[in-house]
Amino acid sequence: MKIMTCPFNGPRPVSEFFYWGEIRPMPDPATCSDESWADYIFNRNGAPGVKQEWWCHIASNTWFIAERNTEKDLVLRTYLFEEEL
Amino acid sequence: MKFPSPLSPIHDALLTGAAVWNSADSLPPSVSQFDASDPQKAALLGVADHSHLPRAGVKGPGATGWLAELGLSLPSRSNSWLPFPDGGLIGRLGNTEYLIEGNAARVAQIMQTPRAPGVYPVLRQDAVFALCGSRVNELLLQTCNVDFRCLVADPTQLLLTSMAGVSVLVLVAGNKIHPVYRLWCDGTYGLYLWETLTGIAEELGGGGIGLDALP
Amino acid sequence: MPWRLLRFATTKKHPEPRMFTEHAELKPSYDVVIIGGGGHGLAAAYYLGRDHGITNVAVLEKGYIGGGNTGRNTTIIRSNYLTPEGVKFYDESVNLWQDLSQEFDLNLFYANRGHFTLAHTDSALRTMRWRAEVNKHYGVDSEVVGPDFVKRAAPMINLSCGHAPILGALYHAPGSIARHDAVAWGYGRGADMRGAEIHQQTEVLGIDVRGGKVCGVQTSRGYIATDKVLCAVAGFTPRILDMVDIKTPITIHPLQAMVSEPLKPWLDPILVSGSLHIYVSQSARGELVMGASLDPYELHSTRSTLDFVEGLSAHMLDMFPFLSHVKVMRQWAGMADMTPDFAPIMGKTPIEGFYLDAGWGTWGFKATPVCGKTMAHTIATDTPHPLINGFSLDRFRNYSLTGEKGAASVGH
Ligand SMILES: Cc1cc2nc3c(=O)[nH]c(=O)nc-3n(C[C@H](O)[C@H](O)[C@H](O)COP(=O)(O)OP(=O)(O)OC[C@H]3O[C@@H](n4cnc5c(N)ncnc54)[C@H](O)[C@@H]3O)c2cc1C
Repeated sequence: MKIMTCPFNGPRPVSEFFYWGEIRPMPDPATCSDESWADYIFNRNGAPGVKQEWWCHIASNTWFIAERNTEKDLVLRTYLFEEEL
Repeated sequence: MKFPSPLSPIHDALLTGAAVWNSADSLPPSVSQFDASDPQKAALLGVADHSHLPRAGVKGPGATGWLAELGLSLPSRSNSWLPFPDGGLIGRLGNTEYLIEGNAARVAQIMQTPRAPGVYPVLRQDAVFALCGSRVNELLLQTCNVDFRCLVADPTQLLLTSMAGVSVLVLVAGNKIHPVYRLWCDGTYGLYLWETLTGIAEELGGGGIGLDALP
Repeated sequence: MPWRLLRFATTKKHPEPRMFTEHAELKPSYDVVIIGGGGHGLAAAYYLGRDHGITNVAVLEKGYIGGGNTGRNTTIIRSNYLTPEGVKFYDESVNLWQDLSQEFDLNLFYANRGHFTLAHTDSALRTMRWRAEVNKHYGVDSEVVGPDFVKRAAPMINLSCGHAPILGALYHAPGSIARHDAVAWGYGRGADMRGAEIHQQTEVLGIDVRGGKVCGVQTSRGYIATDKVLCAVAGFTPRILDMVDIKTPITIHPLQAMVSEPLKPWLDPILVSGSLHIYVSQSARGELVMGASLDPYELHSTRSTLDFVEGLSAHMLDMFPFLSHVKVMRQWAGMADMTPDFAPIMGKTPIEGFYLDAGWGTWGFKATPVCGKTMAHTIATDTPHPLINGFSLDRFRNYSLTGEKGAASVGH
């Protein structure tokens, strides 16, 4: 069983979580070009590497950030968004 | 003022010929006895329905202050709960969300007091079940990834996890020797979870029981 | 050892036929270099030779041929898709499959079984009616049927499926299965016979692009000059595209599968259930070949998980309770290259001479023949084949997606 650690509820099986993809800065939709908006909504950094991703612990609806190596499937750390501000 | 208290989400599944219903207290009806073998089932593995209890939820950055002003003593830690001195309980789910249950006066007070800024109502249409008996752990092994016995060590804890694929909130009531696990889930999953739990319980010699049989 | 047997072992008159020639050296240059020795890459090499007379071709495979998703898939072949582009394209593929065994002189175990997509909800049934209409419009055999029809085709099925009773199904009579690795071998041998070279254990490490044009590829066995490169590497696509700085929406998720121990034949059709997240067929060997939905998060790995076997087995038992004592024999995973609209990305790219056949996710085995054929055309003529116009990379710049999700994914 794979384990993910929710910053709030502790280590849990990964089946208790929801994955929402890599964190990416959003361009300003009012000022950016159609092309860079299309790039933002469609394109992804698909190659493996260490990525910052949104995850959610479903039972408690806790959204948090996981830093994960997407080739080795290693979670390096997890933290709440607020903690990084 | 009277506010509507809905029937248990699994009400229809409880309509068996042998069930003894309790319709007192202006609450929706609940099953006090399922059938004559309730005590035996409860000793091994009983599943009872608590969904009829009155219940309210609030959340938001202003929730803690607002509830305190209403004179409620609140659990200081997130994911923990406190019993009210006059019955029922209050649970703190995360930093700024609360569940109040089982105390009609408290629930009425929360529903009727005008809310302050930063306080939002949370609709609670839970199915609420109680699990008891000597074989309860065998059922948990089949349905859940967290060992609920950690709750017995720290009975003020609230656990948010999933059971048979359904998100649940869990606490332990009863006593150390006869723990009773209380679990809440979204009412729309109620029937599925009830059938899953009672199905396993029957295989282990237990089954659905009435509330009177709980330790 | 009996003498008569030994004689066969030592004589040169009866050498063991190899599927294809092994070449000791890479040539310094080729007209076309194909990255990826899966079904798609090998089929492209085959049709380049057969239809366009282009035979100075190298297929570079970092492992062994068919060792990628081609050899890991659950081999469902069908054409009852949702978009006109998709239906026409997959229908052409189903046509090509029909005489492939003949053409290769190799038994692909192509078995026409009929394919049911089960509906457990009203909304699923609605999508199926829509699909059936689109399918019929393009001449594809496809219809919505009721639970009784399903029961007759698969008498062992439990129509109530635990908590998700079957309300109906989309029935697609041409639905088939085939032996997956034989497809790679058949195309490989055919390409080899026409002069293409297959180099296994040869990994592409870099692509030489100058002035917006391809000039060559760097491999683990040295540099090759070429001005046409086809990238057909499925789960490795983002890594290759990173080398040439092309951005796409492709993300990689593992897709897992498993087989049971062999059983007497009892399941003729192929069954798919979106609500239960399962698809199942019985192979010629009697094994139940089973798959589920994608793993829920990005991962570049082919490790399989216990969660998968548990979840899939539980759902299988909802549908076929009598299987409770059947053992699971093997499980594995492939890396699926997913696109947001569940349609592939095929054709030319912003780099001259760099062609892409990717985004095949969980549904690209059935398309192997038509991909080979259309990509060969695209490479030979440097213009996209008309059948792949709906699949160009540009659609993600022009906001003109080819929404195939309702027909492509198990868990829609
Ligand atoms: C479990 C599973 C079930 C599936 N079920 C179905 C199904 O029922 N029906 C269906 O139609 N489709 C199905 N698919 C999808 C289908 O398998 C694929 O879309 C299809 O096989 C892709 O073929 P391909 O030749 O493009 O890729 P592959 O067969 O993956 O070949 C790509 C090759 O490229 C090689 N490669 C990668 N990088 C390099 C490099 N740098 N240098 C050299 N070589 C490289 C790899 O080693 C690999 O052999 C399934 C997939 C999986 C994983």
